[in-house]
Amino acid sequence: MERMSWLSKLTPRAGGQRAPRSASLQPPVTADPETCLMVFKNHWAQVLRILERRGSKPAPDDLSAVRNNTYQMLNLLAEDRPCGDGDKDRSQGDGDMACGPILEFVAAENLLERLLCWHLQGDFTEERKVEQLKLYEMLISQARQPLLRHKPVLTPLLRLLSVCAEPASAPLENSLVLLLNQLCVSVAREPAILELFFHSHTDQGPANLIIFSLLIPFIHHEGARGQQARDALLLIMAMSASNRAVAQSITDNSYFCPVLATGLSALYSSLPRKIEVRGDDWHFLRREDWIGVSSLVLFMNSLEFCNAVIQVAHPLVQKQLVDYVHNGFLVPVMGPALHKTSVEEMIASTAYLDLFLRSVSETALLKTFLRFVLLHRHDNMTILDTLVGRINSNSRLCMVSLSLFRTLLSLNCEDVMLQLVLRYLLPCSHVMLSQKRAVRDLDIYGKTAAKFLSLIPRCCRPESPPLPRDREEEPPSRARGHGSPGGDAPAAPKPSTPSRLSFFMRQASAGPAEAAVPRSPGPPAGSPSRPGPRDEVAELDRNYLEYLRDARHSIDRCAWACRVWSAPYDGEDPRAPDPDGPPGRPPGPPTPRTKKRGLPEEGAREAPGGPLGGDEPGAGGPGPEPRDGGTLVNGAHGAAEPGRPEGDVVVKKVRRSPQGEGEGGRGARNGAPRAQPPGWEPLPSVDSLLEELLARVPAEPPGAGVSIETFTEELREIEAEMQNGGVGGAPAASTEPPEPPLSHEEEEAFASFATLPEGDAGTGRAPPRPPDPLAQVVASPPRAVGPPPSQPFTGPFVSVLFGKLENMPHNSLYVNFLLTGLVAQLACYPQPLLRSFLLNTNMVFQPSVKSLLQVLGSVKNKIESFAASQEDFPALLFKAKKYLIARGRLDWAEGPGAVPALRRTDTLARSRKPSLGELLLRHANSPTRARHAAQLALQGLRDGGLHPLGPPARHGEALRVRNAVYCAVIFSEFLKELAAIAQAHAVTSPFLTE
Amino acid sequence: MNPFWSMSTGSVRKRSDTEEKTLSGDLRTSPLRASAKKQLPSIPKNAVPITKPASPATSSQSTNGTHASYGPFYLEYSLLAEFTLVVKQKLPGVYVQPSYRSALMWFGVIFIRHGLYQDGVFKFTVYIPDNYPDGDCPRLVFDLPVFHPLVDPLSGELDVKRAFAKWRRNHNHIWQVLMYARRVFYKIDTTSPLNPEAAVLYEKDVQLFKSKVVDSVKLCSSHLFDQPKIEDPYAIIFSPWNPAIHDEAREKMLTQKKKPEDQHCKSMHVSGLSWVKPGSVQPFSKEEKTMPT
Repeated sequence: MERMSWLSKLTPRAGGQRAPRSASLQPPVTADPETCLMVFKNHWAQVLRILERRGSKPAPDDLSAVRNNTYQMLNLLAEDRPCGDGDKDRSQGDGDMACGPILEFVAAENLLERLLCWHLQGDFTEERKVEQLKLYEMLISQARQPLLRHKPVLTPLLRLLSVCAEPASAPLENSLVLLLNQLCVSVAREPAILELFFHSHTDQGPANLIIFSLLIPFIHHEGARGQQARDALLLIMAMSASNRAVAQSITDNSYFCPVLATGLSALYSSLPRKIEVRGDDWHFLRREDWIGVSSLVLFMNSLEFCNAVIQVAHPLVQKQLVDYVHNGFLVPVMGPALHKTSVEEMIASTAYLDLFLRSVSETALLKTFLRFVLLHRHDNMTILDTLVGRINSNSRLCMVSLSLFRTLLSLNCEDVMLQLVLRYLLPCSHVMLSQKRAVRDLDIYGKTAAKFLSLIPRCCRPESPPLPRDREEEPPSRARGHGSPGGDAPAAPKPSTPSRLSFFMRQASAGPAEAAVPRSPGPPAGSPSRPGPRDEVAELDRNYLEYLRDARHSIDRCAWACRVWSAPYDGEDPRAPDPDGPPGRPPGPPTPRTKKRGLPEEGAREAPGGPLGGDEPGAGGPGPEPRDGGTLVNGAHGAAEPGRPEGDVVVKKVRRSPQGEGEGGRGARNGAPRAQPPGWEPLPSVDSLLEELLARVPAEPPGAGVSIETFTEELREIEAEMQNGGVGGAPAASTEPPEPPLSHEEEEAFASFATLPEGDAGTGRAPPRPPDPLAQVVASPPRAVGPPPSQPFTGPFVSVLFGKLENMPHNSLYVNFLLTGLVAQLACYPQPLLRSFLLNTNMVFQPSVKSLLQVLGSVKNKIESFAASQEDFPALLFKAKKYLIARGRLDWAEGPGAVPALRRTDTLARSRKPSLGELLLRHANSPTRARHAAQLALQGLRDGGLHPLGPPARHGEALRVRNAVYCAVIFSEFLKELAAIAQAHAVTSPFLTE
Repeated sequence: MNPFWSMSTGSVRKRSDTEEKTLSGDLRTSPLRASAKKQLPSIPKNAVPITKPASPATSSQSTNGTHASYGPFYLEYSLLAEFTLVVKQKLPGVYVQPSYRSALMWFGVIFIRHGLYQDGVFKFTVYIPDNYPDGDCPRLVFDLPVFHPLVDPLSGELDVKRAFAKWRRNHNHIWQVLMYARRVFYKIDTTSPLNPEAAVLYEKDVQLFKSKVVDSVKLCSSHLFDQPKIEDPYAIIFSPWNPAIHDEAREKMLTQKKKPEDQHCKSMHVSGLSWVKPGSVQPFSKEEKTMPT
């Protein structure tokens, strides 16, 4: 169906371009066929006279005479209609169908061939080539009968094309692409022609190849030319879907897939290395961010084209292209790019990867990206682990990484979740043995929710107790049902469900039509007056219902999406892979004994006794020597992974240097049991990939080779850059200057809405920022961080998230937005293993495993002690809420358009919301009004609270206070969100999961 | 628009059986669910909310600071969870629907398909104590006192207590009460009866007992189209077959049954991804499909 839309998109355009030209030519003669034939012969006679004047160079007059006559003739040929009875005696194989009289004459005289020969004899200038191309284009697009099936037409056409194979001026290329596009359109209309193309050989090989080799160089071009070439190719791809021979010839005899895929590499190399960031809260590339960056647009066009090809093409082509994307783009280019040493480049490449993941819609392509992220090992570490580690870094890189994980989680992909979390939970070693059964328990009485809500810091709870108005306004009818069923008269009204009333009132005011619109729970709909700021802030305290609704929605979605998973992950199915391992062993780093059982990572790990098996702490590292005795294993915070063997870093560093050999070594080890599915030929580098490609080219004429060579060159450049980029160099950490704790923009932004009283800030001590220099992260990735072998470990992802959570009071506002959003997203997964780990507060974990509840408890304590130390905390809190509401509203106003307008917008629009974000903008019923209000509010904050930047230390203190105050707001909301999610899990419809 | 809704419709459908065709669209089982989404169920025939709450400004319940203010949500959600468990059980021939006015009152109907009470259609109401789940066991009262040893001949109340002497949270659930209510019609117990007459007859004169049962079943059927005993928008109402209304509804049920998948897909555009081979815990372990030729 998609394909149809592509075709219908193409065909009219071809028609549209035809129209103006035919208008400029003489209107076709509408006369009877015989007259036309006579006129035609007449023109031909005149041309023939010139053609037969051999020897002498054609005079300019001759040229124009031939040109004019040819115009007329080809117009007549285009108008020629097949006649009723054909000449069945024609011996030419392709002449079964009757052709028109003029065509017949053309064939008999071999007229087009002779004309072309004449042109070729002389000085066939570009101008004349363009002329010829245009003539053929007109002929093919306007012909009233199938022309291409006739050799006398096809052969000169192909010959002309082969003459134009060399790179040329823009006008020539334009005409060439247009003609090729037209050819493809014709072929798409009449697939039988394709067969002919296979059989008509030119001096350059089969005709179908010529179309390909001519079009391929334009794949990555920008503008109309590139688009036409891509459209044309896509038509062929669509045809390949139902024609294996075509597919085969594309994969075996053309460079389509390699050029397309490796072209991505070339285009990637020209992307900006540093993303110019506008806002303090920027954390991912939206459409409006990249639409103005031409190199990125170019890349996205090509990526989209890849996606489209995979959508329409034959599985053979699909597979080849996907393989090449993996081996020709992801592994050699994206991998190193993600491991650049400068933070800016890391930010850029992470944001790019996130964008690509969001843009790719075809599962096959997405699979290859995910495969790359999950399994590919660069520098002996999976990309996934590298990315997980980056969450721990300074704020911008952390935010970009969090966004990437948000994207990954929003895919509801089993493989991703397996690698990130589930495989660490599978052995159930994190729970007490007696608790294993409780994994599947649902908390139907809201105990968990109560626990979460009880963690809302005291200082964040509204002071004034409510008026118990509910009951007063209870309509009498309500109580009726509760009367004793035996008697008629209802007994005294029972306060059965006190909230019920308000519950229904909201329900009534929100019809189904409104359901999608965010509503304020407070003011009645249609109330003309907007609530004052005090009311708005107060509303934050009663938005629990909104959270319940959102939680319900998210869980439903997630549960529905997870139906396709292979197992329920309920503690029983699937079983942990290593049941006879020592109890409590995580499936992560295998000991030599268990190695063969296979780790879910690209073969490399599984090789028994691999050359440098020492990267597994359990295997070769020095004995466990906890770094940070006090912290629990999965509750790690900061860059230093507690519980990891000290010596591991050393091992790591040692391993880094012999990288060159690493690549080769991997290839060898790929023979291990479960290395790669068939078809994933490991191609270690772009170079060899292309060399292999070129080797397959049988004495190629320059035309076809050019594009490949260009790409080779470009790719060599990339390779070189990659080399220089420090891939093989010293450990990144040592060279990396520590990032400033906050970006300039961020500092500025905070200053602009500073609402802090000066008096408190002047203590002069430096902010107690947690040590999070990026360097450490890079050097000590959590992947390698294993727990001591016997300790249960819930995985690096959980560990990093919890660590970051514990640090909430010190995180920037935006990090906390994203962080809490991600944890909430994780909590929405319905798999009992995950759900019980995060949300079952009754579960008893192994002593070394920290629970989410514990982490949150420690945050609560931090906030409370901070509040106690801050005299004006209530005022600060109020201002923070006010600001957040205003800000949220602004966001919302921009909301719908601000969502990346790529294919999976729907999913993303939802996942985009950082937990708190949406609730803060419930009031925004009218975007413009809301925006205005928000601007006013922001203005007010700026005017009122603007204070000159103090000395650095003081400023740092102010920042610390701000972060903590914002954290208090977000933390409270986050707890409500988690509570709502916990409650919503209990009521998930069984039909979603069955 | 409301995927959930269509799904719960499907749930009812799944269990429905030809004999229940007389049930009109009233048999929607998820007002609770709907209320969680803050929507009224879509097709409550005769069920337009009569008393629209007058002033929505009363939602002042949770301005106080303690999490105690969330308490109501716990009760609400506990009952909703109970209801979800009922749905999961798929008790044959048993349908319930919480009342519009209180989550503590559920309307229900049991269809008896075999045995002495065959063809019985008994409407009932479940009353859940407001200190649920820490209170007594729920009560179940038939609209008409069915002739049965365990059903009070005056009030119509079923003796639930004998099965749930002590209601234990986490162990006892409302679906168990419903299952019990269905069971008593198939396995008749006469010890310490609420209706001694029925008990004695069953012991001494089964023929007479049977004929009394048949009378009782007939009586219930003859009152099937009565107005519901308790006026409530979500009360279960039976009406004679009306082609104008019911044909279409039936058609919809039957056609939807065929492709529930498609239907859901339309309403929820999400599908997750998985390349994990069942039984494996390796990512991308699923074999690729063989290449079509």
